[in-house]
Amino acid sequence: MTIEERVPTFFEWLLPSADGIGALVKLIIVASAVTFLGLFVSYLIAAVRHGPIEAFYRVAKVLFTGVGDLFRTSPRRVLAMARLAIQESIRRWVIVVFAIFIVVLLFAGWFVDPESTQPARLYINFVLTATNFFILVLAIVLSTFSLPSDIKNRTIYTVVTKPVRPSEIILGRIAGFAAVCTVLLVMMCGVSYGFVVRGLDHRHNVDLESEEAVYVKGADGKPVLTGWQGETTTNAHHKHTFFVDQDGHGYTNMNRGHRHRVERTAGADGNPVYSVGPPEDDLLARIPIYGELRFLEKDGSVKERGINVGDEWQYRSYIEGNAPGSVEREEAVWVFEGVTKDRFPHGLPVEMTIGVFRTYKGNIERQILGEIWLKHPSKNLASTKDLFESKEFQTHAITFSPTLERELTAADLQRGSARDTNRELDLFDLVDDQGRIEVHVACAERSQYFGMAANDMYLKAAEGQFWWNFCKGYISMWFQMVLVTTFGVMFSTFLNAPVALLASLLTLVFGIFKKLIVQWTSGQIEGGGSIESAVRILRQDNVMVDLEMNAYASRTVKGVDWVVQKLIQGITELVPSYAEFSVSDYVALGFDINFHLQLIQGLTTIVFVVAVSTVGYFFLKTRELAA
Amino acid sequence: METVAEPQKSSHVDDTDVVIETRNLSKVYRDFWGRQKVRALKALDLEVRRGEIFGLLGPNGSGKSTTIKLLLGLLFPSSGQALLFGKEASDVAKNERIGYLPEESYLYKFLNAEETLDFYGRLFDMPAAVRNERIPKLIEEVGLTRSKRRQLKEYSKGMTRRIGLAQALINEPELILLDEPTTGLDPNGIRWMKDKILRLRDEGKTILMCSHQLADVQDICDRIAILYQGELKELGRVDSLLTVQDITQVRARGLGAEAQEEIKEVIARHQGELVSIDNPTLTLEELFLNVLQESEERPGMRHQGN
Ligand SMILES: Nc1ncnc2c1ncn2[C@@H]1O[C@H](COP(=O)(O)OP(=O)(O)OP(=O)(O)O)[C@@H](O)[C@H]1O
Ligand SMILES: [Mg+2]
Repeated sequence: MTIEERVPTFFEWLLPSADGIGALVKLIIVASAVTFLGLFVSYLIAAVRHGPIEAFYRVAKVLFTGVGDLFRTSPRRVLAMARLAIQESIRRWVIVVFAIFIVVLLFAGWFVDPESTQPARLYINFVLTATNFFILVLAIVLSTFSLPSDIKNRTIYTVVTKPVRPSEIILGRIAGFAAVCTVLLVMMCGVSYGFVVRGLDHRHNVDLESEEAVYVKGADGKPVLTGWQGETTTNAHHKHTFFVDQDGHGYTNMNRGHRHRVERTAGADGNPVYSVGPPEDDLLARIPIYGELRFLEKDGSVKERGINVGDEWQYRSYIEGNAPGSVEREEAVWVFEGVTKDRFPHGLPVEMTIGVFRTYKGNIERQILGEIWLKHPSKNLASTKDLFESKEFQTHAITFSPTLERELTAADLQRGSARDTNRELDLFDLVDDQGRIEVHVACAERSQYFGMAANDMYLKAAEGQFWWNFCKGYISMWFQMVLVTTFGVMFSTFLNAPVALLASLLTLVFGIFKKLIVQWTSGQIEGGGSIESAVRILRQDNVMVDLEMNAYASRTVKGVDWVVQKLIQGITELVPSYAEFSVSDYVALGFDINFHLQLIQGLTTIVFVVAVSTVGYFFLKTRELAA
Repeated sequence: METVAEPQKSSHVDDTDVVIETRNLSKVYRDFWGRQKVRALKALDLEVRRGEIFGLLGPNGSGKSTTIKLLLGLLFPSSGQALLFGKEASDVAKNERIGYLPEESYLYKFLNAEETLDFYGRLFDMPAAVRNERIPKLIEEVGLTRSKRRQLKEYSKGMTRRIGLAQALINEPELILLDEPTTGLDPNGIRWMKDKILRLRDEGKTILMCSHQLADVQDICDRIAILYQGELKELGRVDSLLTVQDITQVRARGLGAEAQEEIKEVIARHQGELVSIDNPTLTLEELFLNVLQESEERPGMRHQGN
């Protein structure tokens, strides 16, 4: 499994590019729109209350005091408010949430399928999802109940009659609740890390009955001992096969996403003694370098996508295979950048996960064969093709060594005997001046297909620390928690507790499904807008045919839909996309969480906190607290 | 009765001496849709000067608390202005110089006395040194030394009132607004509170209080205003308001019981030993009830005296 989303670099995200206007421009547009709209609505309300001229002065005055308050913000007051929020949370038995969390983990055995083929993924996904859920719900409850209860109990009277600015009340609350949730997150992080590691930990013994010595035929025709193979005992619902060399060192096979180190020593009584280590390679944090994917058609022309095999889900494109050496087949070509000798001194480690689409079953036991080779991006220089057996959606790890064998070119063949030519090839001869190299993949069987997407292949640049990646998962969760808290506090400045709670939950849901909503509003999903869909449902129309009504009615329906869609689109712009903060897949699938991704998340969080608390400030400032 | 102290326009008086000034201050409570619910305060003109104890009286629902909340910026005026130290009530900076004791002590029940004062001290941006110096002194002053480590939820009504007062005094305010300071206190506590208020006045602080305890108001207030249904009905110095101007009171000594009949005669002829002739004073309670009665008979009129 791979991460499907391509993470842009920080600057790709920030600045305008071919893909879009970039975050900075978007921020400026949205911020100006919100400011303008906010001013306009405030003016309207003030005008209704105080008349059009007085209203102007009032709005201006609030704005000016706002700027003044910003400069008069006192850290001591903010901290005092934060401390109060913390004391309040402690009094509300926040620790109970932690206790419940622990209990849920203790009973997690009920949720976690022991027969799973990927227990690490399951465990990690489970703890990350559970923590995320707990912390966000807690953040929403804490942040939305606090201010309204202060107003209801009128404790706010004794606070706002001190020289406290609304900004300090809001910032203090956000800081206080964020601090509480941070402590909880740290505790949950520790506990769930322990839960994952201990939950996955298991040992095997070697089933001595199954042990066999392995021989190969030596140069003199006599068998030579190379090592031993056998099976482990069944523990934790599975077992492994293993192989150790003559010196007694070895590994088991990969099963359920992990393997064990096996050591064989001769015991005192002459019988072998085996020791099997803890599970390894199940908790990874691979740092991938992704490339650009394009496809070569049978005639060698380039195109963006392969064949659509009719799968609704068009994430992967398919290429048609043919026998090795045949020209009548398509190829997938990844171009990787930044390939240098410093970075890959021991060769080029490639990891690949591809889909297989069989047009005929053939021998279902046998896997479809594929070919993979390296090529210089512009020169006619390539390595020889390696055959591999495609295991559907399993990761193939292939390392191209620094010295390769050159594929014969047409020119070589014309010259005559291939045996005479020097075919030694340095890996880095295939890299062009800009540090690029091409990896080609083809399906080596007639009329069978391979499916791939850009992220299906990557260079494994390095291996990060799993525990740190796990923590980074919690950092992303922390960002979400801060966002949710900020929204909660903002809503609680003008709504009562239950309504603020509802509004915060809605915002969260809106944020989680933001992408889908944006797709719908920008017309990427067939069937039109809400009214059009309703009409279609009533008339049981197909979504693909044009709406059949008279032109006027149809235009009205589409017009109203357009307005509704734009409105919803506008609202979604005001909500952070929580999906972009969700990194549990990275941790669970064993990919390092990219620094750029977290930078983007961090900056997004800061921008939202500033903007949303500013909105909260004006709500609180203009609210009659004793009314 | 002659009007003794009509509200004066401050502009020509010494400005610095006017601590609170309201001009045409009105408040209409509205519901969410902007529909009028209650006209709680109608065109109030008031002035409170430095160093006086000003009492705001009125029956339940007459707009006393509303006035105080308007002064504090907890409510926004529907029309008119409320100025404290010459600044608008909505200005947060004025709070530096104000102490406020609400109707009930709206304090955080999960804090203890020390934590409460520490919290409010921090809100005044006081450095730790100042807080550490003031807090024990204040706790001592309000007599809570023995229970300073107990959470406020365990406090009795009187103790809550005391910590409420301490909280209002943490910044050594120039102006103290007290909403019913003596309710819930026992006679001892009331005495203590009144002494405390008088001492604060002697320290040069200005105090605005509202209360139903007319006797207390009579004891300590320099000036009072009586509100009825949001309108100002009476305003003036307590001593002059309580003096009945058109009645003469005669006290005599050395007259026998059988001379009772003669007294009127004697006095009518201006004979006998006159000990004193003056005007009788009402209790504040009598004045208060008079004002209310008259207001009901002639709504909309300012009280004309007897
Ligand atoms: N938040 C509010 N919403 C609507 N009406 C209110 C509100 N607060 C007060 N009122 C109304 O305004 C009027 C004045 O109330 P206020 O609290 O100022 O009276 P008060 O003089 O303090 O009375 P009490 O002596 O009972 O404390 C009353 O009619 C009251 O019902
Ligand atoms: Mg009141």
